[in-house]
Amino acid sequence: MSHAVAKPQGWGGGTSPLGTSHGKMFMWFFLISDALTFSGLLVALGFLRHKFADVWPVSTDVFTHFPFTHAHLPLIYVGWMTFDLILSSVTMVLAVEAGHRKDNKAVLLWMFLTIIGGAIFVGSQVWEWWIFIEGSAEGAMRWQLIDGQWVEKAFSGANLFYNEYSVTPHYANFFFCVTGFHGFHVFSGVVINIVTFIMAYTGVFERRGHYEFVEKVGLYWHFVDLVWVFVFTFFYLL
Amino acid sequence: MEFQDGFPDYETLAQHDNEAGVGVRKKLMNVFWLLLVVTLVEVCIGWFWHDIHASTHLSKTWLIITFIMFTLLKAGYIVMTFMHLGDENKWMRWMILGPYSLFIVYLIYMVNVTEGNYSGKKEHRSLLDTLPQSTQPVAPAHHE
Repeated sequence: MSHAVAKPQGWGGGTSPLGTSHGKMFMWFFLISDALTFSGLLVALGFLRHKFADVWPVSTDVFTHFPFTHAHLPLIYVGWMTFDLILSSVTMVLAVEAGHRKDNKAVLLWMFLTIIGGAIFVGSQVWEWWIFIEGSAEGAMRWQLIDGQWVEKAFSGANLFYNEYSVTPHYANFFFCVTGFHGFHVFSGVVINIVTFIMAYTGVFERRGHYEFVEKVGLYWHFVDLVWVFVFTFFYLL
Repeated sequence: MEFQDGFPDYETLAQHDNEAGVGVRKKLMNVFWLLLVVTLVEVCIGWFWHDIHASTHLSKTWLIITFIMFTLLKAGYIVMTFMHLGDENKWMRWMILGPYSLFIVYLIYMVNVTEGNYSGKKEHRSLLDTLPQSTQPVAPAHHE
């Protein structure tokens, strides 16, 4: 099979002006709508952050923990999560590249590593939620509605009404909402990656003659990484 | 133009041989190192920001601008190289980036520039925002 044809373009008819298969094109359209959802969340985060600038905590002071140590290590764990996701992104793109060469063995290897990276990320996020929800032993003084009465007493950790990091509940709400929505995307990405791995293992793509499915799954996985780049900046760094 | 049934075979357009793969992989690894270095720089700036701020008196606006520039740089490389949008034809690129950018520029203008300016003032907080609150400053949390 020769693929020396130039990429079709133009609006003269007979070819697709976009030069892509409908599957890839609709994966892109889906990602655009998903990106708009995430953008809406992040823009709302920016809005409330600005509105509550006087009581909004600096994330560098909140996310200071690292597993198996009590050392004060701001942002290092989130930095590690970012590194892990970038790493699993590069293994994914190598799987796509192996697919372009129809190298089934390499696709299996890189898909496997991508699944591992994704699973580590989901686990890391679970750990971070756990630390965030549990909080410190002493907590912080918060006005709380208990049995119909507003009382000021110590509150540890975070839920959707109070959190020890800020007097505004929006901080914890956005933490749960933004990282939760992203974490769910990573989780579904890992499931889709496992499906792709099984399909490659059973030789579906070899029979099909092309690995475009891997490419489409790769689009989704890289999108998840892309979103994390923005969440990392707008929730953790700023 | 004559209708060409079954041509082109879009699914196989991106395929390449083993020799071409070496160059492609090199390019991908370069992007990976770039993303890694930028992330490390970001974490370092975040870690040392208090010191940088104390010694240079740079305002936080510069920090925000720096982080957003780095983020857009990383996003550009991910979309163009890892997601292969740079390899698609120009109609496809515009179809993806154009409408999205339009919506986002409009959304940021509406919410964070116009409305954010208005409701950012304390006296404009609504009843929903004014739960009984302790006015003490928030102490940084330390997990024991």
